[in-house]
Amino acid sequence: MALTQVSSNKCAGGFQKVFEHDSVELKCKMKFAVFLPPKAETHKCPVLYWISGLTCTEQNFITKAGSQLAAADNGIMVVAPDTSPRGCGVEGEDDGWDLGTGAGFYVDATQEPWKSNYRMYSYVTRELPKLINDNFPADPERMSISGHSMGGHGALICALKNPGKYKAYDATVLASGYAGPPLDILLDQGRDDQFLSASQLLPDNLIAVCSEKKIPVVFRLQPGYDHSYFFIYSFINDHIKHHAKYLNA
Amino acid sequence: MDLYEIRGSRLDVIAEETEYQELNRDMASPLKKSPGVKDRHDDMFGNGRIESDINSSRNQLQEKVAEMENFAGHLEEIFLTVEENFGRREQHLEHHYTDVLQTISQRYDERAARLEDEKKRKLEALYTQLLACGHALDASKELIEEAKEVYRSQDKRVFLKTVVPTLKRIEEFAKEEMDLTLATNLDFETPLADLSDVKSMMDSINIVPAPSAPVINPQMANSATQTSLRVCWSLFSDDTVEFYELYYRLVLQNAPLDSTTAPQVRKAKVKETHCTVKELLPGAQYELWVTATNTTGISPASEKALYMTVPSPPVIKQRQCCSCPEAALIRWESGNPDPVDSYTVELTELKGSDGNEKGVTESVVAVPTCQCLIQLQAGHCYLISVRAVNIGGPSDRSKEICISTSGTFFYLLEETAHPCLSISEDGFTIFYGDEELPISAMALDDDNFTRCVAVLGDLIPVRARHYWEVEVDDRTEFRIGVAYEDTERNSYLGGNNTSWCMRHILTTSRHKYEFLHSGQSPDLRITVNPVRIGLALDYDWGTLSFFNVDLEQHLHTFQCQFQRYVQPCFGLDSPGALTIHNGIEAPKYAFIEHP
Repeated sequence: MALTQVSSNKCAGGFQKVFEHDSVELKCKMKFAVFLPPKAETHKCPVLYWISGLTCTEQNFITKAGSQLAAADNGIMVVAPDTSPRGCGVEGEDDGWDLGTGAGFYVDATQEPWKSNYRMYSYVTRELPKLINDNFPADPERMSISGHSMGGHGALICALKNPGKYKAYDATVLASGYAGPPLDILLDQGRDDQFLSASQLLPDNLIAVCSEKKIPVVFRLQPGYDHSYFFIYSFINDHIKHHAKYLNA
Repeated sequence: MDLYEIRGSRLDVIAEETEYQELNRDMASPLKKSPGVKDRHDDMFGNGRIESDINSSRNQLQEKVAEMENFAGHLEEIFLTVEENFGRREQHLEHHYTDVLQTISQRYDERAARLEDEKKRKLEALYTQLLACGHALDASKELIEEAKEVYRSQDKRVFLKTVVPTLKRIEEFAKEEMDLTLATNLDFETPLADLSDVKSMMDSINIVPAPSAPVINPQMANSATQTSLRVCWSLFSDDTVEFYELYYRLVLQNAPLDSTTAPQVRKAKVKETHCTVKELLPGAQYELWVTATNTTGISPASEKALYMTVPSPPVIKQRQCCSCPEAALIRWESGNPDPVDSYTVELTELKGSDGNEKGVTESVVAVPTCQCLIQLQAGHCYLISVRAVNIGGPSDRSKEICISTSGTFFYLLEETAHPCLSISEDGFTIFYGDEELPISAMALDDDNFTRCVAVLGDLIPVRARHYWEVEVDDRTEFRIGVAYEDTERNSYLGGNNTSWCMRHILTTSRHKYEFLHSGQSPDLRITVNPVRIGLALDYDWGTLSFFNVDLEQHLHTFQCQFQRYVQPCFGLDSPGALTIHNGIEAPKYAFIEHP
């Protein structure tokens, strides 16, 4: 699969790059960001897949979250794809900010007119990892998944539906049907997050189910923090460390 | 005269006097390490090692100064005794000779007086004789004159008349024998002077006097055992001595007021200038003095010397020893009523697959107090014992303690426990019982927790990484973490700024977990209740982390700036129990590697 480098910036001793390719699953050109830590020059590195929230592209996380230093320290590659197929001309895809463009929800659509292009689940769990493993010094045995907001939901879906594929998981989703190898979930929630107060985010439900199902979760309610990248920036270190524990074991 | 030789920096008595010459040279040298042991964590104890080198040099110098002072003191004693002894002899001699001189002078006077008398008598006799001769001479002269006159007389008739009687008179006179012998002997009598008593006095000067006082030597290092002392002394004069008597008595630290219970003086009679006294108490001080005796009498007693027997071995306080992978803190009881000079700690590494092979034994000498922090290597097993040392020498080894440096190991500080808390026999499980304790049990020392039912652990004061685990059951309401040693005893763990802890609260509906410091906690939910919790303390990073050991799940990390050493703390908020597991090697996930 041909990859075109779109940009490359030296960052935290490594390189923050953006590539473009023709996606088979999504049938359009897709961009994704890759951070290569200094370790990648000489060794294969484990990979953390970060999937972003509504309205984001591959740019938001790499410019605002400040994850590169921690990733470099821990020798982890970070891959941040876009959040949906773009420019496919699907009817209604730009009608709302929370469905369609920039809102792929990391599922494979089953209905028309979406099902031809909107296959973000397959893209993130199959096409993208294969692309990364073939073109970068990635260790195919060691990958983990994390995300924010819609991406958090996506991360958990991917993890729960692929038991044993991801070494560490990190998201917000119902997990009642999970039956696989042990998980270790770290969850941060800004207390002043407007979506939380609007009850659009329901962490208590997740916690209740995980408690019942004995799925290990540590959920932290961070006072004063909201939904923004400032919140992500503040805690991304803890999350990278959490992933590193398993990726570097 | 017995001589002292000075060898190097020590006083040694010459060989024939002593058999206890092999001194344990280790006693004088500082900590010796076998080469392999040198490479340890430099940064942590680097400063400490320079300091300890300086200290050991200083100690050596101080030792030398003390030895020189002792030597000077002993010399002074010898000097004084010799002075005394010779003073006495001088006096004695002076006295004797004065007597002799007086007697002779007396005889002289007597003799002179007698001679004087004799002279007088003889002179008188001779003078009388002289007078008599003078008279005779005069008489003769008279006669002759008369005769001459008669002869010259013209008157023949007168001549004839007088010549015959005159002739007769002259005849008679001439018939008289002149006694021409001297009236007296011209020689003087010179009887032999009776100087026999003077002679006997002179003789008595040469009689052997009673001996002078011996000088008792100060105690030689390492010449004693736990129950015996080797005592030596010398005689600084030419006196003959038949035997010596050594007296000794136990010196009690606290002298009883009642003199009747004072320890009795014992004595030993020997012919040599040394003696080994037996059947003594260990680690005790004895007062000794010696007298010399010959046919004439007993010398005055020497100065009293104080000797000490070798101490009894100390007793290591097992429950007050703690360790971590880099070090161990050993505490012990002296085992002796009297203070000892120092302690020596000995450690032997156990090698081999089953730990049966013993490595080299290292010693840490000149430990001044009843505890010692020793550097060790991680992942090994050591046997450690202690000896007490005084001037008599080192005691036997104490009973050994085995220290394993697989992880951080500690017992609980039982004196800090809340009265409602009871501790198991092995010291690692704590219980908060249902029963009400009687008020009398609430009589507390300053050290006990009074509100929070808690207890502190005795963590080794070493800035390193420490890991231990706590086992609870699902329903235990606990508080576990760390606190400064002086954390407020009337306050709750986590409720002040001197403690950090994880707290489990059980409500009717659910489990709640808090991570408390200064009464504040982050808002957290944990879905799987941990029953085995790992605690990882990292002084350098200033972190205290909690883990669910069974899931290897990280729960929370406190970022603290520890101002001083902390102790593990364990509390129970409602009846229940918890068990502490330590001495465990920390799992890899417990500590972040320092870059």
